[in-house]
Amino acid sequence: MGSWMKMIKELTIRPKGKRQIRKSPAYSFDEDLKKPLSGQTVKEILSKSSDVVFREFFLQGKDRIPCMLVAVDGLVDKNLLDEFILKPLMVDFAGHPELAQMTLSNVIDKTMESLLPGIEIKKISKMGDAIDTILSGDSVIFFGNLTEAIVIGARGWAHRGVAEPITESIVKGPREGFSETLRINTSLLRRKIKHPSLRIISLKLGDMTNTDLVVTYIEKIASPDIVSEVFKRLSKIKMDAMLGNGYIEEMIEDNPYSPFPQISFTERPDVLAGKLLEGKVGIIVDGTPIVLVVPAILTQFLNVNEDYYQRAMVAILSRFVRYVGAFVAIVAPSVYIAVTTFHQEIIPTDLFMSISAGRQGVPFPALLEAFTMTVVLEILQEAGLRLPKPIGQTIGIVGALIIGDAAVTAGLVSPLMVIIIGLTAVASYAIPTFDLSLAVRLIRFPLMILAGVLGFFGVTVGLYVILIHLLGLRSFGVPYTSPIAPLRIRALLQDTFVRAPWWALKRRPQLMDVEDPRPNGKG
Amino acid sequence: MERISSHQFVVLSSAVLMGTTFLPIASIVTEVASRDGWMSVMPGFAVGIPYSLMVLSLLEQHPQKNLLQISEILLGKWISKITGVLYIFITCYFGGLLLGQAGDIYQSSIMPLTPIGMFYLGGILLVFYLVKSGIEVFSRFSEILFPLIIIALVLNMGLSISRMEQGELLPILSEGIKPVIWGGLKVAPFAMEYILFLAGILVFLPTGKRELAQLKRGVWRGVFLVGFLNMMVVLTQILIFGPEETVRIVYGLLVLGKMVEISRTVAGVESVFLGAWLGALIIKVGAFFFTVTWGLETVFNLKGLKWNLGVGVVFMGIAFKFTRGPDLVMEIGLVDNYLILPFASVWILTLWGISRWKGAGIS
Repeated sequence: MGSWMKMIKELTIRPKGKRQIRKSPAYSFDEDLKKPLSGQTVKEILSKSSDVVFREFFLQGKDRIPCMLVAVDGLVDKNLLDEFILKPLMVDFAGHPELAQMTLSNVIDKTMESLLPGIEIKKISKMGDAIDTILSGDSVIFFGNLTEAIVIGARGWAHRGVAEPITESIVKGPREGFSETLRINTSLLRRKIKHPSLRIISLKLGDMTNTDLVVTYIEKIASPDIVSEVFKRLSKIKMDAMLGNGYIEEMIEDNPYSPFPQISFTERPDVLAGKLLEGKVGIIVDGTPIVLVVPAILTQFLNVNEDYYQRAMVAILSRFVRYVGAFVAIVAPSVYIAVTTFHQEIIPTDLFMSISAGRQGVPFPALLEAFTMTVVLEILQEAGLRLPKPIGQTIGIVGALIIGDAAVTAGLVSPLMVIIIGLTAVASYAIPTFDLSLAVRLIRFPLMILAGVLGFFGVTVGLYVILIHLLGLRSFGVPYTSPIAPLRIRALLQDTFVRAPWWALKRRPQLMDVEDPRPNGKG
Repeated sequence: MERISSHQFVVLSSAVLMGTTFLPIASIVTEVASRDGWMSVMPGFAVGIPYSLMVLSLLEQHPQKNLLQISEILLGKWISKITGVLYIFITCYFGGLLLGQAGDIYQSSIMPLTPIGMFYLGGILLVFYLVKSGIEVFSRFSEILFPLIIIALVLNMGLSISRMEQGELLPILSEGIKPVIWGGLKVAPFAMEYILFLAGILVFLPTGKRELAQLKRGVWRGVFLVGFLNMMVVLTQILIFGPEETVRIVYGLLVLGKMVEISRTVAGVESVFLGAWLGALIIKVGAFFFTVTWGLETVFNLKGLKWNLGVGVVFMGIAFKFTRGPDLVMEIGLVDNYLILPFASVWILTLWGISRWKGAGIS
């Protein structure tokens, strides 16, 4: 009993102060890192990995200096190393006057000053730095038994190019999206915001994976409180592996038990740039094209970047459709259940007769009928999502048309039920954010049960519970339901349910305390 | 310590003041002032203004203290304890009755076969969750719900315009001014219910000079808005049902909701309106739940989850005692007229008077 309780506690109670800490085992490797830097020790540590290359050579200066270049095959640009590092040192500079004066004591400074032409060159003296840089794709040259070495930035690996994002497609606007390579992503962002206030701060997470990530924000706009909170929460993450943004998301969000997303994400540089200009903070993780943006509020999950590229009136209409779609996706099945079970009086007589005729012979109560069909819909969605595209489409057609039609013909469900489920499915696709769409799918089921038990009273109670939950949520200190509650009238009128024309967007949305509330500093 | 802004206070105040007053008010004032009942509404609510201003002036002198704590300073320990016990008793009893009203309204109007306990349970769970989430969430809840309640009210009245008959209002003041004044006195307890909530929420209000001025302005605005809306509700019901029927139908607005029909397509939508009315009830019951918990904390230093659960159980018990409509409405009227009105008016006046007297003595 005691051990069960302990296990449940471990699973459910998060330790205060630290967010889900999974301790790394004590590696002997840690001891190696404390040793003084030397090429030999690095070789001992890394030689068991076949992808690590150790190229030994001599520099013929005043002394004959043994050198060793260490790099990871596949992570470095071999051409660059051959042409601009090894060839000059071994061949081109033979007989060079600088080389003639070179001894072991001055080899590092002389090499950096006169022999190596690259931009990214620096000196290191710690074992940990050397291992980190080599495994991150940089190359390191060791000289004899010196306890210093030179790092050469010559990273180069196969990567996906800049392509159009799949999750945020757009009709009118830029097509470029982030890729899996951190530096490409930061460069895409830098191309959008060419201002010295743009901060790109590098961090590393994951004891084993040593994953690079950057925190980015605009210093004159982002609230210092939010920026420091981001760093504080990131610094508390202690885990072995950091293989994607999802790892971070769950550990830094305010309420991990809520079905609602409290951190937004984007694959588009223009969206990230726009968010940073609103005072938000971005977290770009190496190895994933998804960039996390904090803080997040509920309404932004229903707004898309296309709204800012279309004319205001079109954007307002699109937003209206999306909000209606989200509402329909949440309540359509439960309203069907409540109306057919408890509140037939609100249906016009003709329609009521038609519904009754359709339900004639259906052996299940409305709750069970709707519940079953919604579960079928979920299964179809889940099945279609992970299959290759052509098969996924087939599954959709088979499910929606054949199973639906067969179920109606067999008298298992009413035709109206199929229409309601179809409407729910289409409406949920109007929700532009996948995370919010998942939350909607989740809350639909309890609402259906409440509708089946208590009719509209149950649906109302369920909706109020969801509302109270939403009202209590915060994302990095910002109320989740802002700017509706607490009311921020300017933000509400400018860019929430409607999008004001660009000429009317004179000040930044007042969702949080931004440093400079005026766009371009003059509005 | 949680804090709410001046704007949130204004909305929350209006929502608590409004509560579900719009459901029985027409019947109450028309019973006394007949077809002139609508004139009683604004003066009745206006009684709340001087009392609210007195409470806010006490806050000015004793920042970040609720009225029970201020009582202790001005009246001494034992008198304030007795006042506190009365305050807890009244607010707890009234909160329970309001919870009972929620069940009564739902069961009598749209779901007669569902056990009334289910409505109590749903209502108290919502209130409990709201109270547990804190005063900030409560004020945000009001920020969202109050506009929806107003929209529902306006729609309910607007969609009934075609049934109005102007003749029902005439002749105006046929019985003289006295019934209108008596009608106002029947409305005054609604304002006093709000004053009891205000007594507790003071701790969470801003106390800067500018904010206090905003709070005072907010009280005026809130009272007039709620008074005006209720006046329109009474007017609509008198115009549609006539004075006699308005007195007879206790929850006239629910009947109006049943009568709404648009082009033979939308009809009998009272169950939809009831969604908004449930929100109003939750705000009102929540406000009294809060006052009880604040009272328990201030007077007996009892706070925490188990005491909140206890309050919830007591609310349920009171609600179960009066399950039938007429008994419940009569009991609410009795508590309003003979407990809340005298208690709040005497308490606030005494505190304000002593505070002024002491202030004058010091100066």
